[in-house]
Amino acid sequence: MSDTGSMRRRTFLGAAGLGAAALASRRAVAAERVVVGTWGGDYGDLLAKNVDEPIAGKLGLEVLHQTADASPRKAKLIAERAARRGTLDVALLSDVDMYEVSRHGLLDTLDMGRIANAPHIVASLARPYAIPQIYSGQVILYNPDKVNPAPRSYADLWDPKYRGRVGFSDLLYSQITSVAALVGGGSMSDYGPAKKALLDLKALGAKVYPSNETLAVALKGEEVWLTVMWLARGYQWRRSGINLRHAEPAEGVTPILYQGAIPKNAQNKAQAYAYLNAMLDPRAQAGFAARMGYVPTVTNATLPDDLAAQIALTPEQQARFRLPDYEYVAQHAAEIFDFWNRQFKA
Amino acid sequence: MPALILPATLLVLLMMVAPMVLLFRYSLNLYSPTELMIEAFTARNYLSAVTDSYYREVMGTTLQVAFFSTLIALTAGFPAAYALARMRGRWKAWLTLLTVFPLMVGNVVRAAGWMTLLGNTGVVNAGLRATGLLSGPVQLMYTPGAVVAGIVTVVLPYMILTLSSVIEGIPRNVEEAAQNMGARPFTVFRRIIFPLALPGVVAGSALVFILCMNAYATPVLLGGAQFKMMAPAVYDQFVRTTNWPFGAALAFILLAVTLGLTVAGSALLQRRYRR
Repeated sequence: MSDTGSMRRRTFLGAAGLGAAALASRRAVAAERVVVGTWGGDYGDLLAKNVDEPIAGKLGLEVLHQTADASPRKAKLIAERAARRGTLDVALLSDVDMYEVSRHGLLDTLDMGRIANAPHIVASLARPYAIPQIYSGQVILYNPDKVNPAPRSYADLWDPKYRGRVGFSDLLYSQITSVAALVGGGSMSDYGPAKKALLDLKALGAKVYPSNETLAVALKGEEVWLTVMWLARGYQWRRSGINLRHAEPAEGVTPILYQGAIPKNAQNKAQAYAYLNAMLDPRAQAGFAARMGYVPTVTNATLPDDLAAQIALTPEQQARFRLPDYEYVAQHAAEIFDFWNRQFKA
Repeated sequence: MPALILPATLLVLLMMVAPMVLLFRYSLNLYSPTELMIEAFTARNYLSAVTDSYYREVMGTTLQVAFFSTLIALTAGFPAAYALARMRGRWKAWLTLLTVFPLMVGNVVRAAGWMTLLGNTGVVNAGLRATGLLSGPVQLMYTPGAVVAGIVTVVLPYMILTLSSVIEGIPRNVEEAAQNMGARPFTVFRRIIFPLALPGVVAGSALVFILCMNAYATPVLLGGAQFKMMAPAVYDQFVRTTNWPFGAALAFILLAVTLGLTVAGSALLQRRYRR
């Protein structure tokens, strides 16, 4: 009996020891883990191929993607605002969304000293709460066989000769409203005139597609000939065989910036900093440019000339950038969405 | 015995009742673009939703889609459920499996299939053009018809399985007795089978109606950007405009309307056929 008892004790102690070792090793793994809230699809794949595996992986980071569209991820960050331990270590969002999240006090102010690649960031793209990962510009995409001469201004989309041939992605409702504001005589800080301009466009039979992908199908099938979209997407669509060219609007190109940030309640901040640094690595930046057509945000990443000619924005274009007024958009987000939904789309 | 229901009760309380209570509390708060939510105790969100013609229209669309989808599912599902219930042998097992087969495919995947079928360059349009019946594409996608068709394919298995389990319980000799007394097949259906299958009709219709009222993926993917039902409208408020109080109020209005109509509809149907 006593033998059996001693065996049991030994077995128990052994099992307890193994358990403790397993727990310690799990902790060690957890210590190197970084959870990145990101888009899935092509973007997630590129992140894995250009950042996670070749750069972050070599640093011993175990990268986990939490994939979803931007809006649910933004909602999740907000939902977790009271939680001491958030589920994300790195949040990736567009500049407009990131500003809104930052405005609610959910992001750390970054210590750029901990990001070795930070000094290479293009100055105009630097923000205290996020690093710029990639960027592109908002342009007019058109079918050159149907639209001749090439459009020169956003106002050309209101030309009655293109009745029923202008289409937009529903996801870009805020951007299209800003375009309508400029055409209607407003500005990036005054979307008031957009209402009449959007209703005029509606009367001209403008179409709204539920996603960027459905818009691409409509452009390919020549159901619509003109849209407003990122230059990078135009590059991707052209590569997939859609007959498209892009035109820089006379009103100025609005940059679209995709950023990375660290939520205040992130659990693995050291790893998050290492990941942000990896995203700024010139190799990662070049990988995104070649496949998705987004321009690097660091000065030490160079692109092949032919690629740069298709996707880069010249210094002159950059000087004429029509910058978004983040605060105005954040203040009026609900109103912009309501008008788009109830009046323009209805 | 009470201990047996404890695990399920705790699970429901934790996973269902607690979030609902929290959501209801949110619905009484006020929205602020700067602070997201301001603590309050007001019915303003409910009043704005009820008095707003846009949301009344969205609710109207939702009710119409749910009503027609339920009606089509009942009409198409009843004969199939009857055949399944009266079937014997291994065919029955195979057909039951085939009936539930659509449920093994996710809503989004199924809708993607519909998109390739109904798009302007899709299979249906290409077929019609190849046969020379059409010169240009006909708009099939992004129409209420596409949404109803998509939803019916989702809910039909629920209707068939619910109905067939009840029809199985109706003794065959009751039908035979009616036929012996000279009743025609339609009379047998109208006077014998349908009234006896009524608990199944009520349960199946209620289940399907609730599913239709809360449909999300199908209206978004097949209805397009212009078509709006309540569940996507609730999602928009939470996720796109971060107006949680209003989104919560819309969710509770949807819940109340669905519950009210389901209870009223079931009661009406049962009273009508009890006579």
